[in-house]
Amino acid sequence: MSRRSFYPLPYLLTTSGPGLAWIALFVVLGVYSLFAISLGTPDPILLTPTPAWSPLDWSFANFRDVISGLNPSGGIFWEVFRRSFVYIVLAAAGCVLIGYPVAYYVAMYAKRSKALLLVLLILPFLVSYMLRMLAWVGLLSPDGYVNEALSRLHLVSQPQDWLGGRPSTVVLALIYGWVPYFILPLYAALERLDRRYLEASADLGAGRVRTFIFTTLPLSVPGILAGLVLIALPMFGDYYTNQLVSGAATTSMIGNTINTYIASTQQRAIGAALASTLLIFLIAVLAYYVRTTARAARAVVR
Amino acid sequence: MTQASATGRAHAIRLRLRRRPKVLTLFVWGYIVWSLAPALIAIAFSFNSGKSRSIWQGLSLRWWTDGPGSMLHNDVFRGALEHSFTLAVLNVLIAVPLGIGLAITLSRWFGRGSGAVSLLATMTLVVPELVLAISLFLLFTQLLDIVELGTMAQVIGQVTFTLPFVVVITRGRMSSISTDLEEAAMDLGCSPLQALRLVLVPLLQPAIVASVVIAFALSIDDFVVTQYLSSDASTQTVPMLIYNTARGSATPALNATATVLVVVTALLVALGGLLYYALSRRQRLGAAE
Amino acid sequence: MAGGEVRLAKLVKAFDEVTVVDGIDLHMPGGEFFSLLGPSGCGKTTTLRMIAGFEQPTSGEILLDGKNVALTPPHKRNVNTVFQGYALFPHLSVFDNVAFGLRRQGTPRAEVRRRVNEALAMVHMEAFAKRRPAQMSGGQQQRVALARALVLKPAVLLLDEPLGALDAKLRKILQIELKALQQEVGITFIYVTHDQEEALTMSDRIAVMHEGRVEQVAPPEVVYEEPSTTFVADFLGTSNVIHAVATQATASGCEVRVGEFELTAGRGAIDARGETKIAIRPERVTLEPHGSTGPNRLAGMVERVVYLGNANQIIVRLPTGEALQALVQNTGEKLAYEQGDPVRAHLPAEALRVLADTGAAEIEEQAAAAA
Ligand SMILES: Nc1ncnc2c1ncn2[C@@H]1O[C@H](COP(=O)(O)OP(=O)(O)OP(=O)(O)O)[C@@H](O)[C@H]1O
Ligand SMILES: [Mg+2]
Repeated sequence: MSRRSFYPLPYLLTTSGPGLAWIALFVVLGVYSLFAISLGTPDPILLTPTPAWSPLDWSFANFRDVISGLNPSGGIFWEVFRRSFVYIVLAAAGCVLIGYPVAYYVAMYAKRSKALLLVLLILPFLVSYMLRMLAWVGLLSPDGYVNEALSRLHLVSQPQDWLGGRPSTVVLALIYGWVPYFILPLYAALERLDRRYLEASADLGAGRVRTFIFTTLPLSVPGILAGLVLIALPMFGDYYTNQLVSGAATTSMIGNTINTYIASTQQRAIGAALASTLLIFLIAVLAYYVRTTARAARAVVR
Repeated sequence: MTQASATGRAHAIRLRLRRRPKVLTLFVWGYIVWSLAPALIAIAFSFNSGKSRSIWQGLSLRWWTDGPGSMLHNDVFRGALEHSFTLAVLNVLIAVPLGIGLAITLSRWFGRGSGAVSLLATMTLVVPELVLAISLFLLFTQLLDIVELGTMAQVIGQVTFTLPFVVVITRGRMSSISTDLEEAAMDLGCSPLQALRLVLVPLLQPAIVASVVIAFALSIDDFVVTQYLSSDASTQTVPMLIYNTARGSATPALNATATVLVVVTALLVALGGLLYYALSRRQRLGAAE
Repeated sequence: MAGGEVRLAKLVKAFDEVTVVDGIDLHMPGGEFFSLLGPSGCGKTTTLRMIAGFEQPTSGEILLDGKNVALTPPHKRNVNTVFQGYALFPHLSVFDNVAFGLRRQGTPRAEVRRRVNEALAMVHMEAFAKRRPAQMSGGQQQRVALARALVLKPAVLLLDEPLGALDAKLRKILQIELKALQQEVGITFIYVTHDQEEALTMSDRIAVMHEGRVEQVAPPEVVYEEPSTTFVADFLGTSNVIHAVATQATASGCEVRVGEFELTAGRGAIDARGETKIAIRPERVTLEPHGSTGPNRLAGMVERVVYLGNANQIIVRLPTGEALQALVQNTGEKLAYEQGDPVRAHLPAEALRVLADTGAAEIEEQAAAAA
């Protein structure tokens, strides 16, 4: 029953007070600190970051630096931003190519093996992300099993340095790291899909392939998008994956740049402005996503 | 068309859709091997008798318990494990009660401003962890001097990003608990807080179990926030240790340390799963809701 | 356990500017079985929730044995509620559910056991003490909910459509049990329902509510036989409501005109004048062959005959265009009238009521909604 109940204010404050205080203190004030540093003017002599707590002191110089840095012709952040974007798009595409068939199979075809498959799909979540990367560091090392297998198959004549700054390794590592996060929400969406549509399509004479292309795939687009949002957000802040499997400056991503700028006291304000820009960019994308999916949902209802 | 042939046709269609494509089956099992084998190999290497983490040289407990370089006898490895578990326990102890309290209010109060509070409480779910880490780092270094980088800051950071997960889990359960039950409790003589203790909290047990497991696992696995808010070597967790030494000359003791983490998490999740299952079965919310 | 007198004075409840309960004045003496009857959304539950304390009135008073409890929280009121969905605690056994309130009061263990068993015996549920709510049928859960509230010996028991979720047969049985139980324990029952039959069979008195107001408060037979407003007449079972013009009051009642026919209405607002409405129950209308004479008769034509099993419902179209229903008991003989037959309808003066014309708008609304 959705009747709105009467609760005395002291009760509401007792239950939610601590949590609200926590959020106010650490989320709201935290994000405010980020913007205060981004909008502050560094100390002219020591070059230490100086927060501009009051809107009166705001200066947009750091943001201007970030924007001009993102200029495709000669901006200092452009190359790393472009690279991050390409890596993330490739990794996301890889996640779809690998994750979709898996989620599709488990949702549509698995019967007796379903429970087992689900447990196996969840298992990677129990293994720390870092350990999963560590595992690949071992496998891909010059004397590791990957090189050994490849030379036994005569695919390579001498051990390759997979961990020496190869973009392909970074993209594959990103896929490996994030695909479990893509599969689960997609599986949940496919599982909820109304099978009667598929039966109707088959009933109308469509073969399995056509049923898939014209019915299942369009119906699972929202699930794919949800999964993509879920993995793309953290990938934009990921600086550790490429660091572990490559470590070279030629494969560094936007997260590494932010990291470097924050680490240096003199450039911390610019790092903060970069992080704020990233936050604003991602929230804008997300808001667009939420609005379009809401509109699509309304269209379906109508 | 007769009834019988119609159902027969429907059955045939269902069968046609149901027939499993062999290639797909193979692909899925291939994926599962790919997703799990590397970690299993890494765990196996913790039992290597040689110093390498990539060439197998025979079975031994050298990196676990025996010998000076073992995980057990190395302060860095042991310290990282202890610190990981300390943070995880603190995270559970703080984030779960806070999140449950928030969720209770958010599912029982619809007054003005509740929408905004609800947004605030779950917002961090969509803030990239790096941005949250930097925000808190700047907050603690520039404004809140009482919070020093180190254990306290790390716990605060972890609780901050764990909170929305607890809120979402608990709200899901709350939505299936009718307000009638709390009102019945008050009707029978409970103050609102007694109703919370005697009716709501017992009914929330499955959500509490799930929240504990999630809070523990999130903390154990966390890297970005924990690293940003760390101070020195004494506040190094296992993921940080892996990050810092994986590309260096670390011994298989590193793998052993990571294995402990995985095993403890897996055990906790399995236990939580069983408990969750048992509790939600026992408390099936009656037919009349 | 004496007392249990409830008085509502100018009770108002508004949710975000929408007034849901609009100035209710009611007095229920101790030990009465009192029903709040009305259509969905008329504010019955809200009224009951204010008495229980789950809702704070916007204004007005709730006097419980003379004390204003309008702002007292629910756990401090000597009032207990039986919820529509029963609201049994799913994590507790039947015994613990019933013991819940006693334990809150710090009752000694032995006494808790004695009183819980007593209460369970009262509702014939002793054998179920160890069960969980999910393991019982709706009717059984309902009995436990009753026991849980009654074990506390409240001065007033509030029941919000307690039989609403049960099947028709079980409802009938529980109606009788509930009434017997109320007489046994002798406390005030305030019973909310939208089912008029339920209210009529169980209550000492009924308040018919409509859009947040009380239309009529009276014993069941009065509400049924002598509805004071159009709304009440219409809500309580099918009643004929016919437009009429009241001309003058005489010794035997009120002279009214329907079309060209003169009738005498012996009941209701007999001193009314001008445009008004008259009401009569279908079972009080008798049909006579065309041409029969006498006072209080209207001419019409049989429009439709509906077989109802134990009776036939005959719809007669009056010259004014309005329809009149007559209910003719099924005696096994063939009905004397068929569709298209001209007839005379006899509306006895002592069964014909002049309505205090308050509800003209509503009845049209309802007709429109039904169409
Ligand atoms: N908390 C609330 N906030 C806003 N409106 C409310 C609230 N509670 C009830 N209402 C409104 O008040 C009106 C009366 O509700 P109430 O539940 O008292 O009706 P009711 O007579 O019990 O109806 P029913 O027979 O359907 O139970 C309804 O229109 C309802 O939508
Ligand atoms: Mg109601």
